[in-house]
Amino acid sequence: MSERREVPITVPLLARVEGEGALELTIRDGMIAELKLRIFEPPRLFEKFLEGRHYDEVLDIVARICGICPVAYQMSASHAIEQILGIEAGPWVRAMRRLFYCGEWLESHALHIHLLAAPDFVGFNSAIEMAQHYPNEVRRGLHLQSLGNELLRMLGARSVHPVGARIGGFHKAPEQQAAAALLTKLRAALPEAEALLRWVCQLPLPEDAQPFISVALRHPHEYPFNEGRLVSSAGLDISSDRFQDYFRESQVAHSTALHAHHYPAGYGTGGEAVPYLVGPLARLNLNHDRLPAATRQLLAECGITFPSRNMFHSVVARAAEIHYVLLEAIALLENYAPAQPSYVAARPKAGIGYSCTEAPRGILWHRYELNAQGVVVSATITPPTSQNQARMEEDLKRALTTFGLDHDDNALRLRGEQVIRNYDPCISCATHFLKVNVARE
Amino acid sequence: MPCRATERTCVALIGVGSPFGADRLGWLAIDALESSALARRFPHLQLKFIRSDRPGALLIEQLRTVDGAVIIDAMRSGVASGAIQTFLPEELARESALLSSHGFGVAEALALAAILGELPDQLLVVGIEMGEEVSEGSLPERVIEPLRKRIEALLSSIRGDGAAQRGR
Repeated sequence: MSERREVPITVPLLARVEGEGALELTIRDGMIAELKLRIFEPPRLFEKFLEGRHYDEVLDIVARICGICPVAYQMSASHAIEQILGIEAGPWVRAMRRLFYCGEWLESHALHIHLLAAPDFVGFNSAIEMAQHYPNEVRRGLHLQSLGNELLRMLGARSVHPVGARIGGFHKAPEQQAAAALLTKLRAALPEAEALLRWVCQLPLPEDAQPFISVALRHPHEYPFNEGRLVSSAGLDISSDRFQDYFRESQVAHSTALHAHHYPAGYGTGGEAVPYLVGPLARLNLNHDRLPAATRQLLAECGITFPSRNMFHSVVARAAEIHYVLLEAIALLENYAPAQPSYVAARPKAGIGYSCTEAPRGILWHRYELNAQGVVVSATITPPTSQNQARMEEDLKRALTTFGLDHDDNALRLRGEQVIRNYDPCISCATHFLKVNVARE
Repeated sequence: MPCRATERTCVALIGVGSPFGADRLGWLAIDALESSALARRFPHLQLKFIRSDRPGALLIEQLRTVDGAVIIDAMRSGVASGAIQTFLPEELARESALLSSHGFGVAEALALAAILGELPDQLLVVGIEMGEEVSEGSLPERVIEPLRKRIEALLSSIRGDGAAQRGR
């Protein structure tokens, strides 16, 4: 029975997320009156930092946006700038960029599942507490994460804010011996990825199906990293240069991060603006048929049907993507040979370029304008967490109502945080995010 | 050579930090120790010099295969710039493990390693107080000398038959 009262509930600092943010919730007469995801990390202004910089500097600057997903920023920037310069990086660079992305998804997903998300589902407050009861699972997660970091180091010289990528390719091709040694480690880790996916599938995940629009890249043959058309579960199918015709960011008073909405009928047509989902679950919902047969088989054994409308299945999607990237990295390294040179040279050229690639947390859209000297005139970067914010607020309203607003404040706080962690929000990236304040009135 | 592939006791000297500002102190310390005669003074030990870039929980992976470790990091405690302080893992104040992944530092990694049984038998954490005059270029001798002495004292107490000890 709902009470006629207004109660504020506050989660002043969201736990186990990437960065700092808060959730404020006001329950009035037994209903959610107000819900705000408050991102209070200061704006980071990277787009303005890029103005006046030569295109050769862009990849090292955008890599600093995130310590977890720097490759995504480098890849979206590379493709957009190469579009302006009119160069094709070729099959070797293409394969190494996919390998680079495999490393990033592996380290990011393994960190999220084991250190951030899994404690929710096995009844612990932290990975440190969980490790007392699940030591082998935590060890497995740390090992998979470290393999991802090794891949990043091999191509990027370091795993945090890597410096190996350049416009046109990579500064240096990895040595054959280093690639062979890593291939051996990745093959040995494949049973760990299989065990991880089976373990995640048997976790007691809440049932909470909701309607939402999934948005992701889709490639004719591959599970998407760098290339593909932008598609949605509502029928959108566009090239990434048309992103702003259907997606727009806007300022909200309670957040230093921009919110993004999808305009299914096109921006400026007077049609409705709706929240949308990007990230592993959206990717898997739209690209399940692009997964290798071995990964699809493991998912079939899992008993979860994709597309899924339950955001708690995002942890399963992440584990499936870990299995996928191990298979993909192994395939790429089995055919590895160093290239000389390891990049395609380019000359400055004026123009506007666009690119969208799949960061671990979802599509990351970049737009650059260069002048004839190759200097950045303007830059627009739309990160996945900004795109998911409106969907997170919508999900929280539905999920907490379904959970039951008569639960005590602590239970509401915990469920709210769990819902948010499903998105693996990267708040530092988005400032362009979590404490939770709940008010009952 | 990988640590566990040797008969000798393997000790990792791990500088934790990043390439930026005072966060470089741990790396600068490793530069100084690697170029010193430390390895020649302790031939019965296999010393690994590691510059670890913001490892978070992955510090555990770096501790897993060694018999002993010294972790060197920049600290801010209010003492004189360049001052050395040593800690046991349990003496480090932990952030709440409930906080964001950005708060998962050396203390949290060591706490998780302890639960997983991954702490090496010999472990020392060394803090170097940050300050402008010790954060640029190479570390001054007034910092290196006490640091080297403290590490030499630890290394002197470690037996060299790592493989035999591991077999116990």
